[in-house]
Parts: sequence; C-alpha cells; structure tokens
Amino acid sequence: MTDRPNPDDALRDWLRATWQLGPDDHLHVGVVGQSTAGARRRNLVLEITGGPRPGRYVATVLPTADIAILSMVDEAAIRMLARDHGVPVPEVIGVSVDESVLGGQFFISEFIAGETIPRRLLRLVREHDIGARIVGQLGEAFARLHEIDPALAPAAIGAPPAPVGAALDAVSTVIDNLLQPEPAFSYALRWLREHRPTEPPQRRIVHADVRTGNIIVDHTGLRSILDWETAKVGDPMEDLAWVCTRMWRFGEDHFTVGGLGTVDQLRDAYVAAGGTWDEQRFHWWRVLVTMRWGTGLAGQAAMHLDGRFSSVVMAASGRRVAELAYDALTLIDAG
Amino acid sequence: MQYRPDAAELLDAVASLLEDDVIAAVPAHLQHQVRVAANLCRILEREATVGPANDAAERGRLADVLGADDDRDLVSLRADLAEMLADPAPIDPALDRSIRDALLATLRADLAIAKPGYGATTGAP
Repeated sequence: MTDRPNPDDALRDWLRATWQLGPDDHLHVGVVGQSTAGARRRNLVLEITGGPRPGRYVATVLPTADIAILSMVDEAAIRMLARDHGVPVPEVIGVSVDESVLGGQFFISEFIAGETIPRRLLRLVREHDIGARIVGQLGEAFARLHEIDPALAPAAIGAPPAPVGAALDAVSTVIDNLLQPEPAFSYALRWLREHRPTEPPQRRIVHADVRTGNIIVDHTGLRSILDWETAKVGDPMEDLAWVCTRMWRFGEDHFTVGGLGTVDQLRDAYVAAGGTWDEQRFHWWRVLVTMRWGTGLAGQAAMHLDGRFSSVVMAASGRRVAELAYDALTLIDAG
Repeated sequence: MQYRPDAAELLDAVASLLEDDVIAAVPAHLQHQVRVAANLCRILEREATVGPANDAAERGRLADVLGADDDRDLVSLRADLAEMLADPAPIDPALDRSIRDALLATLRADLAIAKPGYGATTGAP
C-alpha cells in the first residue's frame, strides 16, 4: 500500500491547481470506470463537475516512465497536432509529468463513447453496414495526418533518416538471431531486400499502429484514433500497410482493411483527401510489417524459453509464427 | 511402445478438462492463460497425429528443391535452404518459384496443425 491519496482527490487537487481555481470554485472529480486497453497503460474514466470543463474524460496513466515509447507530454503533443489538422483524436485537456498524482505520468482527454473491442466493433459495423464508410474515414484521416509538416512534431519522436532501411535492418537482425533457421522468413527477407524501395520522397508523421482495436467506432462511423504512443516520422505507406494486416481482420478476411472494407476504398479516400499513394511501396510495406510481427512472435517464444518472460501465452506465440510467414509469402505470391 | 491412450488421446483428455472445467473454476485473470493452454493441447493433439507425416513430406520437398540426397535430415535441409536464401547470389526464377511453392505447402501443413482453416484463405487482398 502507498500513502498516495485516492485518485479522485489527487486529480481534483491537480485540476484545481492546473485550472487555477479559487477556494470558492466548486470542482468534483469521480472515477467512474477503469479499463486496461493496453498492457502498459491504465485508463481511468472520470466524471468532472464544476470548473471550466465539466464532463466525462479519460485519464491515461503510464505506470512507469522507463517503459514509455513516447513520454506522455510528447504523446499529448502529437495527439493535439493531429487533432488540429483534422484527424479524429480525443481532445487532450491536461498533461502531467508529476508521477505523485496518479502513480505515473498522465494526460486527460475527452471521453468518446463507442466500441473499441474488435469483435464487438465488427459486429456493430455489420449491423449498421458502415464498414465502407469507416474505411473511407480512415483513408481521409491518414491523408490529414500525412500532410502535416513533420517539423511540427515534438523533437523526441522517432525520426529515422532512412525509415525503409531502418525497418529492413530491424527485421533482418531478428532473423539472423532466430532460435532455429526459418526458411520462410529467409525467403521473405530476401524478397524484401530485392524489392526494397527507395527511401520515401517525403518523410511524414505516421501513427504506426492504426488498426481495429485502436479505433473508436459508433453507429455513425469512425469517432477516434487512439494509442499514439508509437507515432514517429517515417514512410506514410507504413500506416496504410499496417491497417491491412490480416490479424486486424479478426476472421473477416474478405475485408482486407481491418475486417471493415477494401483496399480500393482506402486508396480512393486517401487520394481524394490529397494523399499520395504509391502501390509498389504499399505492397513492400505490407510484407515488411507482416514479417515484423512474425519476428515479434518468434521473439516472444524466445523470451519464454530463456526466462525473460516465462508464460504459456508467450510460449504459444511460437506456434503462431507460421501464420505470419504464410501471410508474408501469400502477399509476395500475389505481388 | 506405450499402452493406450496414445499421446493425441491424452492431450485430448487434458484439453477437455481445461476447456470444460478449469476455465470456469479459475479466477478471471487466469482464464486467458487456461484458454491458451487448452488450445496448445489441441495443437499438440493434431501435431501428434499428423506431425510425423508432415515432417516427412517437408523433408521430401526440400530435398527436391535443393537437389539433396534422400538421407539428409529435415533440420539440416532447412538450415541449408535458409543459408541459400540469405546469400545474395541470384537464384534462377524457376527455382525461386519451386522454393516458394515448397515453403507455402509446408506452411499450409503447419497451419493445419496450429490454426486449422487459416491456410485455406490468404492474407492477400
């Protein structure tokens, strides 16, 4: 147990100070729900009454700063930058690096009602027949994000000067260090090397993890894109490739884009909103990100075996490697 | 040779116990792990049944594309193929095609064990 005050009081006091409220100003903060959307973060649903911004919000807490991909300040900044350029992102109303308030850095953003859990989300999409609309909204959101001048991004976000080469090197290093040779991975890596595109003519801010599971949808369509901790400056085609990866379809394999709709719908919307689509580069990134996930699963199996993270779930990842190798080779086959 | 039940039959028994009784009896935070464990038993049950024939077929395919002797073992054939693919030296397009076909056939067989149905459709658009 810690002697930390309960989150309601701690947040109320923090907000009072942040909003510079006087002693007579009423403010009440209640934690009305919790969710652990990601392994790293804790999300507290808040009901704020009084003060300048009453309403429902979410406090996203990063328990320990040392495992942050992006600091909460940088993630909040990138979220607001994207939002200011027309990408649907919940508004951030406050950021704290003071870990004493909630046990970790946090930001507070508006609560957006809707569905995030993939299978339920896909059911909602089918019921309302809004898959094509959501894919169109995703295409437009990507175009809005990719047109932002990357010089506006926080300096701390990853910005490899050669994103194609960096991604290829990372996959290549894992394949060199597999527990046993995996010829299907070697085949895909060879293909990636032989078909390696030039570095992107323009490096842009990419989210790098937009997928079914990181979006909020309601019966009207796409409401928000979440989880910006992986944002970086890179090749825009990486974003468009990742959302097409098979695991994000949750069995709805006839709809390439997240089980929601087709690549044609995504491309049309992206181009209509001003994005520059490069089919060859898109295809290369699809194989690359598929391989990257496959090598990640191989890495989880290794972490189980060498004791870094012993768990039946991590062990089981080894039996999933064939899925990603198969996806990569069928993509190459269709190329 | 062991008496019955054989490996597949025992794994079926363990999987049924996990699926039918244990998942409901453990605290919520363990249910996902138990579900994964039950699925692993199902995978191993299929592996015990068709794994040896799959390995023999893969060995045959690899010996074929590599032009290797019939007595070579699967592990060394896989290592040879991986090494050949890692070498930037050009590979004849016809051979490249047969290597890819051989690898896809093996992956479909692996998936029939690890994730039935997955190899029947493709990840392509």
